[in-house]
Amino acid sequence: MTLLAHGVGSRTDLPIPIGFALYGAGAAILASFAVLLLFWRTPHLGGPDSGRPVPAGLQRTLDAGGVRRALQLVALLLAAFVVVAALAGPEETSRNLGPWVLFVTFWVGLVPASLLLGPVWRVANPLRLLHRLLRRWGPDAPGAARLPALGLWPAAGALLVFVWLELVYPDRSEPLTVAVFLLAYAVVQLGLALWFGEGWFAAGDGFEAYSTLIARLSPWGRRSDGRLVLRNPLAGALATPAQPGLGALVMVLLGSTAFDGLTRTTWWQTGPGAANDWFSGTVGLLASIALVSGLYVVGTRLSGRLAGQEERIQPARYAATVIPIALGYTVAHYFSLLMLDGQTTWILLSNPFGADGVDLFGTYGNRVDLTAVSADLIALVQVGAIITGHVVGVVLAHERALLSARRARASDQLPLVLVMVVFTLGGLGLLFGF
Amino acid sequence: MTIRPARLPRALAASALALALPLTGCAGTDEGTASDTTTSPTSSSATAAGDPEPTAEPAQEPGQRLEVTVAGGQLSGDTGRVPVPVGEQVTLVITSDVADEAHVHGYDLTADLQPGTPAQLTFDATIPGVFEVELHDAGTVLLTLQVS
Repeated sequence: MTLLAHGVGSRTDLPIPIGFALYGAGAAILASFAVLLLFWRTPHLGGPDSGRPVPAGLQRTLDAGGVRRALQLVALLLAAFVVVAALAGPEETSRNLGPWVLFVTFWVGLVPASLLLGPVWRVANPLRLLHRLLRRWGPDAPGAARLPALGLWPAAGALLVFVWLELVYPDRSEPLTVAVFLLAYAVVQLGLALWFGEGWFAAGDGFEAYSTLIARLSPWGRRSDGRLVLRNPLAGALATPAQPGLGALVMVLLGSTAFDGLTRTTWWQTGPGAANDWFSGTVGLLASIALVSGLYVVGTRLSGRLAGQEERIQPARYAATVIPIALGYTVAHYFSLLMLDGQTTWILLSNPFGADGVDLFGTYGNRVDLTAVSADLIALVQVGAIITGHVVGVVLAHERALLSARRARASDQLPLVLVMVVFTLGGLGLLFGF
Repeated sequence: MTIRPARLPRALAASALALALPLTGCAGTDEGTASDTTTSPTSSSATAAGDPEPTAEPAQEPGQRLEVTVAGGQLSGDTGRVPVPVGEQVTLVITSDVADEAHVHGYDLTADLQPGTPAQLTFDATIPGVFEVELHDAGTVLLTLQVS
């Protein structure tokens, strides 16, 4: 259909100026070695029990079952409304609320929401509410015992399906596609939750796992005794449990965002992706994820070998340190989409069913202002996000290495840091458009 | 992605085309001067009102003139990624051998294409970014404007 990659949108970003790309690359390399050679030599960040507890009353309110059910009910009503609007609203994507809410407001908006407020989708996940209602009549979670062994692999699979829909499926922007996807996703997830029990959502709902992953870098955390704390986001990220599939989840995010960037380059559009069909897209998406995964596994295993540690456990051990890099990629690629084309949601909300003369909030006649954020600011945010993600990732990897061996040598960490540099230079290269 | 205005049913479009043919045949006689053979640009659906109003004044034609021809599904002319300085006036001239509608994304401008008749869109490139110019029915991307 068209060459623009992600779900919906009327524009893509300009290539970043060459100066930005070069300064960014230099800064990333310099920062990496500064962290390795000059930073602390003993573990420095707080552990999983660090942080300042929030007032007990606040925690009681936030953790109250009633509050969660209420939030889940609100989310459920909104989701149902979006499905109905997608099915009964105008047929044209430009006038239908569904695609804009799913691909921009929800999917992209989940990132800042989780980064600021914590794992919001775990709290407000409407499927959890439906599951509570349905489980009385369903089987008594016969698969619950097998769930821990699956780790986050199911969530990585669910996210892979979603990013394929978002970036590859040719009819991704059709309102009908959005409605069918949302309904099918709910049915499949609920079925699996009835089989595996309520714990399924944390392990297998891609959106919840995504929100929880991003929230690892939020100031909100939970001590091992369950107390809600405010703490250094870096300590929160390092406290991420090393579940099976955590690395896969991060790699799906990193690889798919890289692929989104790749599809915007002239090289892809005139070369491997020229056919612009589902086949080239599927191959490109899987190849991107395989490439970043391969680099990551080689980097971590090599670092482990140098440090004389068991190689097999290294990819899982360092998976959390790549979260900031994946987040940096995400911000760099979707910031402008949320700020510019994201305005469409608020315009269409005034008349979700396209009825004549309806203008609930007085915004229906508005036009998306594609100059609301200047091209310079977009480029600055893009490079800033990539570099910040890189620096935080290298710092986390450094701390993680010190935690695994008190006398960890800086040189042992070099392979992983080099892989991170490759991710970052690759990310800048994609923004520059090669 | 796609911002996809409602399409005319093909039968309807074809009959409209049959009616239009004699007229365009006349206009086609002086094809050398693009000014006479242009179909006036039409802004799309509800989001029409806005600053990059197309001005159909081919007489002066300053700025950048871009021409694309579609024949048998093949593109020729100024295809690919075309850099345009911000603020420059752009004149797009699109000639297709089948009836279709051209759409400049972001600027949200559309032009009806009649077979063999060049359609012209003139606008000021005031919005920075990368924007596709696409054929709605065929789904072909004619060119990509890189306004910076």
